[in-house]
Parts: sequence; structure tokens; C-alpha cells
Amino acid sequence: MKKIQLFTGLLSALLCALVFHIDAQNPKGKFGTFALTNATIETVTKGTIRNGTVVISNGKITAVGENVSIPQGAETIDCKGLYIYPGMIDSGTNLGLSEVGSDARTRDFSEIGDIIPQMKALTAVNPNATAIPVTRVSGITTALAVPSGDLFPGTAALINLHGYTPDQMFAGFEGVVMEFPRSGRRGFFDRRTDEEVKKANDNALKRLNEIWDRAVQYHKVDSATNGKGAGYYPEMQALMPVVRGERTLLIEVNPAKDIQAVLKWVKEKKVKKVVLTGVSEGWRVADEIAKAKIPVITGGILELPTREYDRYDQSYASAGQMAKAGVKVIIRSAENGNQNFRNLPYHAGFAVAYGMDKTEALKAITITPAEVFGVADKIGSIEVGKVANLFVCDGDPFETKTQIKNVFIAGWQMPMVSRQTLLYDEFLKRDPGVNKN
Amino acid sequence: MIKKLLRPLVAGFAFCLAWPQLIFAQDEKPVAPVGRSYALTNATIIQAPGRKIEKGTVVMKDGLITAVGAGVTVPPDAIVIKADSMYVYAGFIDGLSHTGVPKPKEERTERPKDPGNPPPDKAGIMPQNDVRNLINPSDKSIEELRNLGFTVSLTVPYGTFLPGSGAVVLLGGKSADDMVLVNNAALYSELTGTQGVYPNTIMAVMAKWRELYKNATQNKSYAASYAANSNGISRPASDRILEAFYPVIDQKLPVIFKSERVMETQRVFTLKNDLGFPLIIGDVKEGWPIVNKIKSSNAKVFLSLELPEEVKKDDKKDDKGKSKKDSVKTDKPKTAIDIEKEGLEKRKKESIALYTSQPSVFNKAGITFGFSALSAKSKDIQGNLRRMIAAGLSEDAALAALTTSPAQLLGLDKRMGSIDNGKMANLVVSDKPYFNEKAKVRYVFVDGNIYKIEAKDEKKDAKAIAKGTWNYTSEHPTDKSGKIEIKEDKGKHSGTIASGSGSAVELKDVNLKDNSLTFSFEGSGGKQEVTVKIDGDNFDGTVKGSQGSFSIKAKRDPKSK
Amino acid sequence: MFGQDKGNMLIKNATVLTVTKGTLTETDVLVKDGKIAQIGKSIAAPQGVKVIDATGLFVMPGIIDAHSHIAIDGINEATSPVTAEVFEGDVVNPLQMGIYRALGGGVTAVHAMHGSANAIGGQCETLKLRWGTFDADAMKMEGAPRTIKFALGENPTRVHGEGNNIVPRTRMGVEFVIRKSFSDAKKYMEDWDAYNKNRQAPGFRGAAPVYNLRLETLADILKGNIIIHCHSYRADEIFMLLKVCKDFGIKRLTFQHVNEGFKVAPELAAFGAGASVFSDWWAYKFEVYYSTAYNAAILTKNGVVTSINSDDAEMMRHLYHEAGKTQKYGQLTDEEALALITINPAKQLGIDARTGSLEVGKDADIAIFKNHPLSIYGVPQFTIVDGIVRFDRANDPADMRLLVDPKQNLDETMFSEKGRDNCMDGTEFLFTDNSQGKK
Repeated sequence: MKKIQLFTGLLSALLCALVFHIDAQNPKGKFGTFALTNATIETVTKGTIRNGTVVISNGKITAVGENVSIPQGAETIDCKGLYIYPGMIDSGTNLGLSEVGSDARTRDFSEIGDIIPQMKALTAVNPNATAIPVTRVSGITTALAVPSGDLFPGTAALINLHGYTPDQMFAGFEGVVMEFPRSGRRGFFDRRTDEEVKKANDNALKRLNEIWDRAVQYHKVDSATNGKGAGYYPEMQALMPVVRGERTLLIEVNPAKDIQAVLKWVKEKKVKKVVLTGVSEGWRVADEIAKAKIPVITGGILELPTREYDRYDQSYASAGQMAKAGVKVIIRSAENGNQNFRNLPYHAGFAVAYGMDKTEALKAITITPAEVFGVADKIGSIEVGKVANLFVCDGDPFETKTQIKNVFIAGWQMPMVSRQTLLYDEFLKRDPGVNKN
Repeated sequence: MIKKLLRPLVAGFAFCLAWPQLIFAQDEKPVAPVGRSYALTNATIIQAPGRKIEKGTVVMKDGLITAVGAGVTVPPDAIVIKADSMYVYAGFIDGLSHTGVPKPKEERTERPKDPGNPPPDKAGIMPQNDVRNLINPSDKSIEELRNLGFTVSLTVPYGTFLPGSGAVVLLGGKSADDMVLVNNAALYSELTGTQGVYPNTIMAVMAKWRELYKNATQNKSYAASYAANSNGISRPASDRILEAFYPVIDQKLPVIFKSERVMETQRVFTLKNDLGFPLIIGDVKEGWPIVNKIKSSNAKVFLSLELPEEVKKDDKKDDKGKSKKDSVKTDKPKTAIDIEKEGLEKRKKESIALYTSQPSVFNKAGITFGFSALSAKSKDIQGNLRRMIAAGLSEDAALAALTTSPAQLLGLDKRMGSIDNGKMANLVVSDKPYFNEKAKVRYVFVDGNIYKIEAKDEKKDAKAIAKGTWNYTSEHPTDKSGKIEIKEDKGKHSGTIASGSGSAVELKDVNLKDNSLTFSFEGSGGKQEVTVKIDGDNFDGTVKGSQGSFSIKAKRDPKSK
Repeated sequence: MFGQDKGNMLIKNATVLTVTKGTLTETDVLVKDGKIAQIGKSIAAPQGVKVIDATGLFVMPGIIDAHSHIAIDGINEATSPVTAEVFEGDVVNPLQMGIYRALGGGVTAVHAMHGSANAIGGQCETLKLRWGTFDADAMKMEGAPRTIKFALGENPTRVHGEGNNIVPRTRMGVEFVIRKSFSDAKKYMEDWDAYNKNRQAPGFRGAAPVYNLRLETLADILKGNIIIHCHSYRADEIFMLLKVCKDFGIKRLTFQHVNEGFKVAPELAAFGAGASVFSDWWAYKFEVYYSTAYNAAILTKNGVVTSINSDDAEMMRHLYHEAGKTQKYGQLTDEEALALITINPAKQLGIDARTGSLEVGKDADIAIFKNHPLSIYGVPQFTIVDGIVRFDRANDPADMRLLVDPKQNLDETMFSEKGRDNCMDGTEFLFTDNSQGKK
């Protein structure tokens, strides 16, 4: 008891200030002209600038450098001893599509049907999902919201983690998701015979090819008739841009054998824009992926090895091994169950601890996804003219000790609060304590 | 294939069970044997491991061995079996199996309202069950095991947790009582829970085991005190479940556990150490890593006759094309995946070798053990014994584990296990030394009754005969039974088929290749194609037509051949 | 079967994070017969003793996971709301690969727990990760106090109330089930006491009360012989169990998960109950929706003995990282953060006299890291249990299986996501919705 009272005295002043502030009004984002001065700037694409300034104006980065003139009226934030990084991009989440994991009423990432590429994640993103502020105060400014389910479960969307409508949040990329039929068993509980497993896989592949051929046919009819003759066929309409190479196909695939099958399939079908996702056994066939020049979004890194006899740290080392083999590697957190996308830098950090080049790992959550999603002109690095997605922190963002001080999304300065920080503020020193008064 | 020379009644019984609707069969009236005395002459007799008699004779009478030796006179009443160049061993003993107990059909029961308190039988708690009530003397498992030379089994009921008590049975007899040698020989238990009800997990099974045992101990002592003086205290309740434990508590009845896996065995030991009952562990498959723990437990041990399948040399069927390609391009370097696969294959092979050498390891550790057939397929048993021997078990030790050791472990060494005067006439006779790859069992004597075994392979080699009158049954939806007549003329076959009520239809394309018979005919549902395998006077196969594919079986009137 | 191999070794020239006695640089740790014999500078190596040169490395106490489900066959006896009699110690499996993987994360001891399907679940076992043995008994931490799993909230109410139409279906029902169980146990205890007293009398011939293993176990809780580890999330249910325990005189109590523990931190501290939490897991079900990653910090700063656990075969491998997150969420000191995965879980399991810190006389359960263990770049190099190296990163062949299934299919990917050994394992048969079966 004594301890608590002692503690109370120490913190009360700070707490009162915080509580008062929160009571005053709900925190909102702030738009305007900002100058972040005296910072170490990790541009990612243009090296490190020490003692530099970033100017944000009208949602964009308007100046970056050591000798930058600060526009009049700009709010100056002194970042002495601090670092500025481009906002992190989590390339595999169900952010905004799920609120409470076990509650079906809040699960908006999985629709009925196996061929439903026309289901658009962007439609169902809830801009007010509790997890969004929880994620962005950790420096993650952008996330790919991905539907999941069967063969073609829908179309994923890249969103910035601020905005009041999906349109405000949309970050310029959509991709059709495919879950490639899995050849093996689903787990130890899968008691099917070898024949049954094989048959199920053969059937799934057959169906995939039928659907693809149909999409190709739809595209031919559509092209021949200038879009008039093909008719309303939403599934095929959603697949058509993929067939035409205008839209990316995000193929979720994990076992080595299936990755090989995907590479073959992609080659056979001449699919132009492909990204592999998951790819947990990609290290086994890294050379083949590199040769096919197909980028991968791998993760989560903090996972168990996929096989009993794999080296214990295989899942931590995998991203680095693929990168070394020449694969373009993006890291995702895939922390869907726990809405813990805020752990993205730690997934990258573990990849580094177990062998990945640190610069590569940083790119894997910033500029590389931006490039692969075709939005490198807007986000992924700190460069003049880009959207102002960035954060300020007091150290290596992969380190858990590091505090995130400021986050900007599309030029908006984010309030550094989430429900989790609010609960901290309220309960660190609860009032009343044990007694009623 | 057995000709039951002295068991026509049993044969008839089995026949009726299998073919209830066949009325053409002649009733075979039992014919009494001339006597129950036999003499096996001029054989190599292995009385017990290490005790061999060349050109010796064994005389049996009324179920007992009455003489054994090189210069034994054959009594005049004995039926002489010339066993020249044959080998005679004591009948084998199986330490744990369900031999003679038909496998119960899985019944889907409704989930009880309170899964935490199911009735005992739904929870697998039936220690009061007596395997005698479950034995079917014509169950084919008896014949299958006997054909390998086994004459005695410790057989137990099917079930989980506490399925009942087992009995030592002879592998031949007209009725369960006829077969039973030792009733209530062991209480059988498995550390397996019941789906959906308590106890569902192994840990709950173990908890329940402890509680039942302690409850039984309490009840028993109270019953004893009541029996001593009932005045003034309430009567003890009758409880068949708990009473089944009484002889166990008295150390008179052992508990035999199915104990396949290395962890299972240790869990059984945990219970034994807690409760102190006499213990037999049966069907042990992974005992080798804890051989010292097993030795110091003083439990009696029956090792499984099942072994993991060997990696066949041509097991790479899937990769056949690939490996051929690889061998052409010899300069192609191995990929990481190839190296990984080789490593895994090597470890798998090493693992199989560990399982295979288990009996040898136990033998070297000085543990007396028998074998159990609980989970072994009978067709694999002889081969598995040879693999165990190849992995270091001496032939004598293997023989001991089949004969003298199990006799000793089951407390039956005075009655069986070796070929000595006064012991039960349980013998196995093979044409070559039993562990020889080409050895075939020719005769098995169980309790002095002879079973002649016709070598299967020889028969297989002989071309099957299709000719005759076949009475068939089928799962075909409309045509369930009828008669097929097949004629043969200089190797060419023809015939007719008639369903139960209909008229005969001509068969087309009747072909016999080895034992495979094919023909077709025009049925009411269009063309039907029949493919069957002939095995003696039976055939078994399928009939295919527009309605689908259905099984068909038939039995031939032996006189019509 | 106890009395494991005990090792001798000298760890040279390390940064020693003792957790309880500060951080010592360029320091040696001498291990004799599996115990820490000496910590100091320039200790001479006794002849023939293995020396680990730990120059530039960090030596910390072996990590203890107060909530795991590895190394056991069977997690939930989910058939009844009360199953106090079942015991995870009966089904220890030293062959599970999760053990070696946990060693790879610096873990030396785990609390192998029953699941959370029942209001009163089964008894748990404290294990030392003595990888390499086939002997299940050799894994048990000899002398560790008995513990039992309780569970409140959604899991027991869903399994029994929703699944089987049996009380409890609500948090009211959970309280009733626990109170009734304790009351029954009290009666049982009294009956036996009376019987034991009466039978001393000459000529007494009455019957003993019927032996009941479930009530025996519950009585042992009332007697203080078993520590309760209770799966819980919401503040109200936590508070409820505190009151129930107070009413029955139960003092040894640690809450598990306890996501809303921060809301009742003063009450937990006043009771002296422990809290074993996730660093940041939340939102996987409704009762963890109002969570905060600052939970451990709030609890710690309120004086609650707090640990961070995994409840997961993967997370267990980086509890040092999970502890590190408290420096982001609440800015705990290095020592406070490390205590969450060493001495504090040891206290909660009642094994703090033996392990959980680097002190002379304690078991030599040690993890040696490259880089500071609270850094993201910290990588365990050696994990030592009782002075024996059970994990050595430099000597770590790929295939570490102790027993190879001779029937295994060689080229098979067995994704482990469903086999992560969590709290609701073994209850799947009760549900058709595959979203169920979460923590």
C-alpha cells in the first residue's frame, strides 16, 4: 500500500494534465504546415540525413535536407536527438475488416463463395475500427486490407490509417487475392487419406484452371465487343484486369511444393502482375522464385517452423534467406488474430536478428511494398513530392524500447492516443483505489 | 486353408454362418475320430530353445504329450503322421490380442445430457465384462493366428479404458468354454478416453483409474469387515465394477495394459507405482528407449509383433520418372531439397531399424518377454519375426519369446511352452525350420487336436477351376442372389446365369486367367460385366453395369467341379 | 527417476543480468553440480570443467513461462465444469519438438497447464526443459508446488453453458460452480476429519466417506497445498474470484491472461495475487476487446507480482522480446522487464527459491544471449538447465527430433498454426464454427 501511495505522489501532476486534456475534447488529427527540425532522417531511398529538416505542407513532403528554409506559419517540431522514418506499410492485414476475432458479426473479411473476386475489401473497411489508432501510433501508416477464404476470396485494398471514409483512406492500390489450392494436409487433425488429399487438390486445381480459362474467354469477348457483348458477370469482370495484366494477383501460397506449382501456373497462364504472399516455405525454393522475378510478401516472421524437422529458427531466418537469393522481399505481420499489426517492425527486426540485412528489412516494410504496389511515387520513402506518411521516434524503430513521438499520415499529424493509451492514462493510478473514496 | 479333419461340426457351423441362404449344401454329420492319439515320426524336434532331437518322435494322447525322443515306440492306437524332414516346436503363445472376439460395430450413440457423468458403460468402464461371453469359436482370427503356429492367446474384449477381463484361450474349440484354459486371467485396460464424455483425455482416464481403485479398496475392506461381523453396520452395496478390482487388489489378478507407445508405457507405470497392482504391459512397440525403466518396473512384458513397414527399395514410385531423369543427368548437382530428403529418408530408415531391433535390445537387457499379436496383421507376423532376427535377435531367443517365456509370464510353464512329457499337446510342425523364409506350417496341434494346413502358395500357383454350379449373392439392388453355371470344353468356358426368380441368360466372353474369372451378360438393366477372383470353391468380385458397381460372392457346389 | 544429470561449467567474462542483484560486467559464473556456485570476477576454472567464453555476451536467468501447454498430451478435459482431479503431470511428453524450440528462445522452465474449458480445470505441472530424455518423470521439476487451473468468463460458459446446457452459462454461474465446489470440498474434508477422529474410538465400525479424487484435490486447495492459476480476462470476474478465495481462506492465487487486471490492480496488490499477462494480445474475442498493452506496466507499478507468459508454442520462443515491449508500453526498467519473465513467474509458481535469478545456490538455469535480451537483436546462444547445455546455437543440426515416426510421410508440410497448444485445445469437437477455440 505504501508503495502505491508513494508512487501516486510522483505521477499525479503528469496524470492530471493528461486526464484534463482528454476530457477537454476527443483528440483529432491536425492538418497544416509542419517543419520537423534537427532530426536524423532515414529517407530509405536517398540515404541518411543528419541534423536535417522535413517540411510537410498540404499533405505532401515539400522539403527534405540539412539546409531547408522553414515556410512561414509552419508549426516547428524540434526533433533534436530524434529520427524520422517513412511510415511503415503492413502488406498483409485484415485491419478495418475485423473488430473482435471470434465474433462473426465483426468479421468482414470472408464472404460466402469460392469465386468472389468482386468482393471489395475497401467497401468493408471500417475507418473507425479500434485497431486503426492502436496500429498507427506505432508508426504504421499504411496497410493492405486483405480478404481471405477460398480460391478467389476478393480484392484487397491498400489504405492509409487515417480518414473518415474508405475513399479518404484509399492509398492507390487494389489487388485480386487468390488462395492457391494447398496440396498437403491442413494439419495434424486432418485425417484424410493420401488419396483423398490428392484428389481434393487435383479438383481444386482443375477448378482454378476452369475459372481462369473462363476469365480469359470473358476478356476476349469483352475486347472483341468493346465491352458491350460480355454481359454482367461480376466475377469475371473482377478477374479481367488481372488477365489483362492491369491488376496484380496476390497469390497466397506456403508449402514449397505449392510454390513450385504456382510458379509453373503463372508461367503457363502468362499472368503478368503477380505477388506471392505467405511463402513460409519460400526459403526452400528461393532460387526458383528469384529466377521467376516474382516479389513475395512473407510473414508473419514470428511463426513456428512449418515442419517438425525444420531448424528451430527457420521462420525467423526465411525472409533473409530469400532476400539473399535475390528475391524481392516484403515483410508483413499477418497478426490478424490479435489485431497486433503494430508489431510489424518487430517482425522485420526478428528477420534482421536472424540474418537479414537491416536496410533490406527496413525497405521490406517501406519502399519495397510501395514499389510492388505501384505507389512508390507516393509513399514508402521520405522524398520531396511524396505523400507525408512518416513518423518521428527516439531510436531504432525495430527496437521495443523505442518510443514513437509523432506520426503523420497524408500530412495529418495524428493524435498519439488510442484506446490502449487512454486506458493506461485512466488506470495507471486508478481513482478511487482499493477503498471507496 | 485348413481342412478341419476332426472338427466337421465346427466347419459346418462356420459354413452356415457365412452362407445362411445356401440350401443345396449337404449336411455334414459329425464323424467321431478314431482316437485322440497321434504320433509325429522321424522329425526334427525342438523341445525348447536349445533342446533339439534329430529324427525323433512325439506321441500325444488325449491332449497330452505322452512321449518324446529319438527312440520312442509308437503306440498301436496312434495315428501316425510321417513328419520326415519336418520341424516340430511347442505351440506358440500370444500374450495379448482380441483373438476369437468379433470386432464390435461402431455404434453412434447420442451424446448424453451431462457428458461429465455418463453411465459407466458409455465411459468405457466395464471391468466386470468377461471375454468368455464375447468369444465366437468360428471367428476367423482364431484360424489366422493358428495357421502361423499359435495355439494359445491371452484374449481380451474390445473397448477403451476398462473393457473387461481377458482369458487364456486355446485357438480351437467348439465353444468359448471349450477354448478357455484360464478364465479371468487378467484385467484389461487401455489409457484411451471416450469421445465426448468423461473421461475423454488420458489424464482423466488416469484420474478415474485411481479413484475406482481406491473406491474398490474401500469397498472391499468394508465388505470384509461386514462379513466378519454384520451386527450393527449397514450392508455393503453390491457393485460389479468395483468388485472386478478385488482380485487385483489382492495381487491375485494382474492388469494387462495395451502399452504401445513409449509415453503410454510410462503412464501405465505411474498408475502401477501409485496403486501397486501386478502389471503386464502388452503390445509394446516403443519400449527400447526406456528399456531400463521397464526392467526396473518388474512388469511382465509382451512385445508387439507389429513392425513399421520397411522402406521398399522401389518405394520411390512417385519419383521414378524423376530419378531416371536425374540418373541421366548425373552432373546435375543435388538441390537443398534433395539433400534434405536424403537426410529424412536416412532418419526414417534408422527409426524403422530401432523398432525392428527392439526384441534384441530387450533380450540383451535380460528382460524375459513374450510377443503379442494385438495389432499385427497375421500375414505380416512371420516376416516380422524374421526381420527381428535379422536385427539381432537370436532364433533361440525368438523361439523362447513365442513359447517358454510367455508360458512362464502367464504362469503356465508347467502346462505348456516346451515339448515334454505331460505337457499339453500344443505343437506346431513346419516343413523347414520355422524362421526360414520358405518355411510353411503344415500341422498345428491344439490340445491334442490336429489342424492340417494346406500350403496356400502351392494352391495359388495351381490354376483355378471355373467349372461348376455357383450360388451367388450380390449387393446389386435388384439382383441379390441366384445361380451361375459354368461349363468347360477344352479350355473354353461358357455358361449361364439365373437370378433367384428369373430364367437363365447366356454368359458372354467367359475368360479364366489364373484365378481371375471375367464374363458379361445382358441383364434387365443392360450389359453387366463381372470380374471375380476364384479361391477354392469361392469367388469374390464385382458386377458392373449402368446402375453402378456392386460386390458379388459365390460358393460352388464342390461336387459340380 | 528424478535426480537428473547435473552439470559443471564456468561461464567467462559476461555481462551478467542477475535480475535480483543488479547487472555485473565482465563477470564469471561458476556452476557446480547443477547449481550456481560462484558469481564474480576472474574465477579460475576447476580442472576438466567446461568453459564457455561469454565475452561480449549477456547471461541471464533461464526464462520461465508461467503459462504454457507444451510437453503434454492433452490439454482440456472439457467434459465437465469441474475436473480438479485430472493432472497434466500424468501426461508429460518429453519428445515434443516445442521443448527444443522453447530452449532456442532461452526458456528453461514452463508451467504446463490444463486448458481453460472448465471453471475448475485440472492440475498443472512445472517442468524443466531437460531436452533429450525419453523419461517423462525426468522433465518434472522435483519439489515444485502443486498448481491447478481455474477459468472464468467466455471459455467455461461457452463450453458448458452454450455447448452442453449445463451451468455455467454466465459469470454468475461460474462463481456458483466454484463456491459450490469449495463448499462440497469443505464438507468432504469435515466428514473425513470426523471419520478419522471416530475411528480412533474403540469398537468403531462405521463406513468411511466415499473417496472422491475431485474433492480430495479441492480440499488440498483449501488446505493451501495447491496454488490456483486462474484464466481470466475481465475485471469483474477477477474481483469475483478474489472475494471467493477470501471467503474460503485461500491465499495462493495467480491470475492468468488477466487482460483487464489493470482495472483492478489495487485489489490484486492488496490481496497479494499474482498476474501473468500477455504483453499485447487483444481483440481475438470480446472479453479482451478493452485491453491495453500497458497492462503489465500498470500492474507492476501498482505493486502486483506480474509475469508475461505465452500460452503459445511460438510466443514462448521470444518471451524476452515480449518483456521488452513493456519498455515501449509503460517504460519499465531493464530489471523490471526481465523480472517479468524470470523471478516473477518463479514466484507465481512457488519456485523462486530455486530459480528465476542468478544467485549463488540457485539452480544453474541460464540463458546466454548475443546482444541484450531486451533488444530486438538479442539472440539466445546457449540455454542451460541444471548446469547442462540443452541448446547451443552453434551446434544445432536441422533435424532435432528425438523420435522419428517410422510411418511418416517424408515430404509433408504440417502447418503448425492449429497446433499451437493453446488454452482451448481439445475442445474443438464442441464447436462447428472454426472461429472458436481461441485462447
